[in-house]
Amino acid sequence: MFCCALALLTGCQPAETDFFGTTRPRHGPDELWINNAGEPEWLDPNKCADGNGGEILWNTFAGLVQAHPATLEPLPEIATHWDISADGLIYTFHLRPSEWSDGKPLTAHDFVYSFRRLVDPVTASRYATNGHIFRGGAAISRGEAAPETLAVRALDDLTLEVTLEHPVPYFLQFLTFYSFMPIPQHVLEDLVARGIDTDLWTRPEHVVCNGAYRMTEWRFRQRMVFEKNPRYWDAKNVSLARVKLSMVESSTTALNMYAAGEFDWPGSNTSLPAEFMDELSRYEDFHRHPYLAVYFYWINTRAPPLDNPLVRRALSLAIDREALVTHVTRAGQIPSATLVPDGLAGYEAIALPLFDPDQARQLLREAGYPRPEDLPVVTLSYNTSEGHKQVAEAIQQMWKKELGIRVDLENQEWKVFLANAEQMNFQVCRMGWTGDYADPFTFLELLTTDCGNNHSAWSSPDYDALLADANRESDTRRRLAKLREAESLMLQDQPLIPLYVYTRSQLIKPYVRGIEGNHQDRHPWKHIWIDERPRNNERKAATAPRTEACRPATTTAEAA
Amino acid sequence: MRAYLIRRFMELIPTALIIVVGSFALVRLAPGSPFSSEKELPPEIRRQLDAKYGFDKPLPEQFARYLGNLLRGDLGPSTKYPQRSVNEIIADGFPISLTLAGVALVWSLLVGITAGIIGAVRQNTVWDHTAMAAALVGISIPSFVLGPLLVLLFALRLHLLPPAGWGDLQHVILPGITLGTIYAASIARLTRGGMLEVVRSDFIRTARAKGLSERLIIWRHMLRGGLLPVVSYLGPAIASMLTGSVVVEKIFNLPGIGPYFVDAAFNRDYFLVMGIVVLYAFFLLVLNLMVDVIYGLLDPRIEYS
Repeated sequence: MFCCALALLTGCQPAETDFFGTTRPRHGPDELWINNAGEPEWLDPNKCADGNGGEILWNTFAGLVQAHPATLEPLPEIATHWDISADGLIYTFHLRPSEWSDGKPLTAHDFVYSFRRLVDPVTASRYATNGHIFRGGAAISRGEAAPETLAVRALDDLTLEVTLEHPVPYFLQFLTFYSFMPIPQHVLEDLVARGIDTDLWTRPEHVVCNGAYRMTEWRFRQRMVFEKNPRYWDAKNVSLARVKLSMVESSTTALNMYAAGEFDWPGSNTSLPAEFMDELSRYEDFHRHPYLAVYFYWINTRAPPLDNPLVRRALSLAIDREALVTHVTRAGQIPSATLVPDGLAGYEAIALPLFDPDQARQLLREAGYPRPEDLPVVTLSYNTSEGHKQVAEAIQQMWKKELGIRVDLENQEWKVFLANAEQMNFQVCRMGWTGDYADPFTFLELLTTDCGNNHSAWSSPDYDALLADANRESDTRRRLAKLREAESLMLQDQPLIPLYVYTRSQLIKPYVRGIEGNHQDRHPWKHIWIDERPRNNERKAATAPRTEACRPATTTAEAA
Repeated sequence: MRAYLIRRFMELIPTALIIVVGSFALVRLAPGSPFSSEKELPPEIRRQLDAKYGFDKPLPEQFARYLGNLLRGDLGPSTKYPQRSVNEIIADGFPISLTLAGVALVWSLLVGITAGIIGAVRQNTVWDHTAMAAALVGISIPSFVLGPLLVLLFALRLHLLPPAGWGDLQHVILPGITLGTIYAASIARLTRGGMLEVVRSDFIRTARAKGLSERLIIWRHMLRGGLLPVVSYLGPAIASMLTGSVVVEKIFNLPGIGPYFVDAAFNRDYFLVMGIVVLYAFFLLVLNLMVDVIYGLLDPRIEYS
């Protein structure tokens, strides 16, 4: 927004190299300078609910399991191995002896403390629902049971047993999420004893962690500095000694700083400015990969004429998704008429036409609207953003052109928009949903009757039963088939209109190695290292494949 | 003079109260909550959060409590940055915004007054036209264009200054120039206009008749008269440099308080919005009062009563 002039000027300059900005690191080989796009709300694993905090927690805490940097498959971390009961309900984790950053031993009790604290309403965690996966979690969150009733217990210092509410095929993967990191009970208790607010336990003067890095400096809204934690169990395989994380909110400013070499990588939380995407994609340090998030429109299935499924399906079929991603969003997004992305954990997407205006018109006639002017005006709301506005305008055009429907656009500020969505005070509204784990259920759950995030008012007992059934199924193939059946049933009724699957576009300096393009955009710093070759032979090293395996035998190799 | 000051101070109190009541009402009437997001919040958790910040109490009670805390100098907690209080956030950020405004002020006065004097002394010459044309350009270029252009030239091309960030003096040069230029341009035009107004007045003629040197006439007599409009402009200008630094602080990623003015409202960070509004209101009121006082010191025709 601010820097149109800058874009034009930089865009027109003759390229001296094939890279955007400098390719010489401004620091030694054991350092990394990145951006975090803003201050985190919480640095407490139980309370954190934003990407800015997540980036830090994934690097300063270590959970029972960790995600493989490329495939995101669950790998051992603090747990070396685990046993799963035949019914898939009880998991017994065997922990390795390890330490907190203050030298105190880390035990199974720290995990019990954390999981109870996550669901305890007193904690007031926004992600308390993550803990509902454990038996008794939901009742505790509702205030109906004591946190001690959670079905999580330490059999001894190094053995943890958890019982699930129902079998969860993606449980281990879900467990890599930051909500499930251990919490140093002794530190919080010490603060209580000293009369200090326990909310402050993550400030650098108090914080104790168990991950690859620990925070040593926090200048609010400027930067955080992290240093390698020598007490991390796998510290010998951590390459970078120091990571400087800046808090630059404007993506254009972050881009300038990347060009000037102030950032080696703008980081997972910084998106590139959409208006420069075409230009930036020509550089060799530009990378793009699919991202586990879907852009879609909710339909209020109670608001006429949208209470008729035929009208809803007509609306979906009248959208030219290919044209939308090619001409409007322009960042390589994958057009999709289904909610679950194709290939997610072996899921085969349902074959639906991405665009079929003839069938759309036919459906509208069947719905009793042979003449488009009979249809009342439809209101499409979106939250304030240039990108959402462009998508909405394109779809307004498509619906008018293909179906003759008149569409009013309504731009709302984010919190107003959320309040309206919650109160079902809309006809059609935009939404994006990021998968919390790589399983179709993370998306399909949205449409269940009890899901508080279901803003369509659509409810189907058959759909709910199919999903519940699928999650009781131990055979992966049969489970996926049931999930597919459920999605198919849901899309027949079209309570939402999927548009596309997101992509992530990144700029990474050629000397930064070990960043894998995975679909959750999680890139642990412990796998990253600085390639010194560019200092000597810039071109040669710079064009070497960036995704070569993480240097030395890392946790990945050990786990395998 | 003393009675005047006391009276003016007394007038500030109801004004400040109206500002606090008005902004409290506006902030709380806006739809949405600090805790809403695209993910559902279980009702019990929501209740806990509301209770923690006192949002479960009736609004009048919340206001009374806020006002009580405000009088004790406690601006309350931030809901967006729960590990910081609003006092801490302002204490961290305000010195940075002040430094930025200070640099912008020095830049605007240096450039503006110099250009204004040149314009007035060399009226209708090439010097005058050049200075005034430059001023016109300065007034016309918004900071979100000037800032990126300066970054492009001095940071990305010449590598003389950092493109953004905060640390030492070199980080504040480009933002200071970006913020100050529009004021420099106005000051140049005001200085020139003010000086031209006095240049033909009787006391200048008297000064010339006394045989004073031209330099002394310009500095002691013309400039003093010419600066009057500048002084009355400076009050609102300084306030506007302080409160209008949102864009510049965003472009250069300075951790001042400017961006909160907008972001905290979007985040429904109730106490932070209120804190910034109260702070800005205080400065606006005090600066306006100061201008009135200084105006009288410069212009012997004004009397306080």
